[in-house]
Amino acid sequence: MIEVRDLVKVFDTRGQVVRAVDNVSTQVAKGEVLVVIGPSGSGKSTFLRCLNGLEAFDSGSVSIDGLQLADPKTDINAYRREVGMVFQHFNLFPHMTVLENLCLAQKVVRKRGQKESEAKALALLEKVGIAQKAREYPSRLSGGQQQRVAIARALAMDPKVMLFDEPTSALDPEMVGEVLDVMKNLAVEGMTMVCVTHEMGFAREVADRVLFFDHGKLLEDASPAEFFDAPKDPRAQAFLRQVL
Amino acid sequence: MKQKKAQWPWHVLTVLVLIGLAGALYYATSLMSYEWRWNRVPQYFAYQAEETQRAADISTVSELVRKGGSAQVTLRNEAGDEQHLTVDENSLQFAQGDDVAEGDVVGVTRHWAAGPLLWGLWTTLWLSVVSGVLGLLIGLATGLCRLSNNPTLRDLSSIYVELVRGTPLLVQIFIFYFFIGTVMNLSREFAGIAALSLFTGAYVAEIIRSGVQSIARGQNEAARSLGLSAGQSMRHVVLPQAFKRVLPPLAGQFISLVKDTSLVSVIAITELLKSGREVITTSFSPFEILFCVAGLYLLINLPLSKIASRLERRLAQSD
Repeated sequence: MIEVRDLVKVFDTRGQVVRAVDNVSTQVAKGEVLVVIGPSGSGKSTFLRCLNGLEAFDSGSVSIDGLQLADPKTDINAYRREVGMVFQHFNLFPHMTVLENLCLAQKVVRKRGQKESEAKALALLEKVGIAQKAREYPSRLSGGQQQRVAIARALAMDPKVMLFDEPTSALDPEMVGEVLDVMKNLAVEGMTMVCVTHEMGFAREVADRVLFFDHGKLLEDASPAEFFDAPKDPRAQAFLRQVL
Repeated sequence: MKQKKAQWPWHVLTVLVLIGLAGALYYATSLMSYEWRWNRVPQYFAYQAEETQRAADISTVSELVRKGGSAQVTLRNEAGDEQHLTVDENSLQFAQGDDVAEGDVVGVTRHWAAGPLLWGLWTTLWLSVVSGVLGLLIGLATGLCRLSNNPTLRDLSSIYVELVRGTPLLVQIFIFYFFIGTVMNLSREFAGIAALSLFTGAYVAEIIRSGVQSIARGQNEAARSLGLSAGQSMRHVVLPQAFKRVLPPLAGQFISLVKDTSLVSVIAITELLKSGREVITTSFSPFEILFCVAGLYLLINLPLSKIASRLERRLAQSD
């Protein structure tokens, strides 16, 4: 479903050249859950942002269902509506209520009517367990609730793929569980997911495959059992010794 | 524990200070032997205009009906043609059967008319509103151009902002009226509004730009990741939040604009200040009139800042 070939992203700021994503190739099948792990600055977030074009890459190709991201003929907005994204800092729209947050893109991009989009939004809020907060502003919600709203907002567009960029890193420890539960349910329902996360438990339990990044390079691509019990790459071995 | 002290003695002190200042001012003017004539001021706001009614031909007053303060006069000339006039009763110059010569004043009608100060206030108001709206539109467009990826738009908007901010408004008004106005044959009102709105636009552009840049990048990214185009994201997500943030400086800019309209008096637009100065030449009461003019500017600006702070509070409900 997702096909990444020889992806390269170079950051060049004031003469400092950083190869944030260095020649990465991989693919994700429909319904597969991919977890991307690595130390900070390893390029895993940049890799994820390249997948929906928030970060323009320098060479290589990314395609979803055969639609090439780098092709100038591809409508980037049409591409992005098939790819949901959840951010570390939620990025809810603070001037809109929860319900309006969920309805905006449905109305503007999918051209759905008021009733249809609100029904969809309420169903999704029910699903992530915060239907009673529909009329509240995001500032009244806890971090965990905000992140669940953000997930529902992405799902409202009926995406084919969901990207998660460290969705639990900005949360209080006691709120991590509720967000991970929502993500686990999604995985069970067969959503195609790519998650950048530091939650090793989640990776071990839910992931179909684990990717390990360091210095922009994809060092290991294995099943969770293989990766956590017998990592091949020495850098991955050192990393796991630190975090487990 | 923090002790809560009463606030009212300080408010009383404030009032005392103000009274003291007013007293000192009064004493100073009394030394100057200036005769205050406030009773002359109201007529410059509104007065009873008189319209004289004249006979059209040599004729006689054939009929005269007095009714509730006004008088209906019917004049008949030698040929038998009738002329009907209605005048105020107390200004009636003739009685029944009198002979009237051509052009004689039969009487006057009176009606209330706005004086020069009210006309000046009106001119200042519509100048401010028109140049404010135009300035806001120009500023919005320019501010977005300054943030554009297109180098030409960016350069042109920067040049415009720097040119306007770097030269005095008074000079711009002169240039617009005497140079551009002459070349393109513009009316003085058009030149004045153009100068004021371009001036305001440059400042509004900078306010808008800073407001948009102050919105976290994640907001735009979240909108784009949902499939909104750059324009849709700007319109639905970034600008509403930016507007909330720039409301206080924007209100300040519009208050400045109202005051800056006084500068177009130099190209002979009779706005509030110029009407005030014209009134001074006929009333010989410069101080009273100047205080009135200042008061009228305040009358526009105080509600303006009140509305702005009210709007600010209403938009803050999502915080």
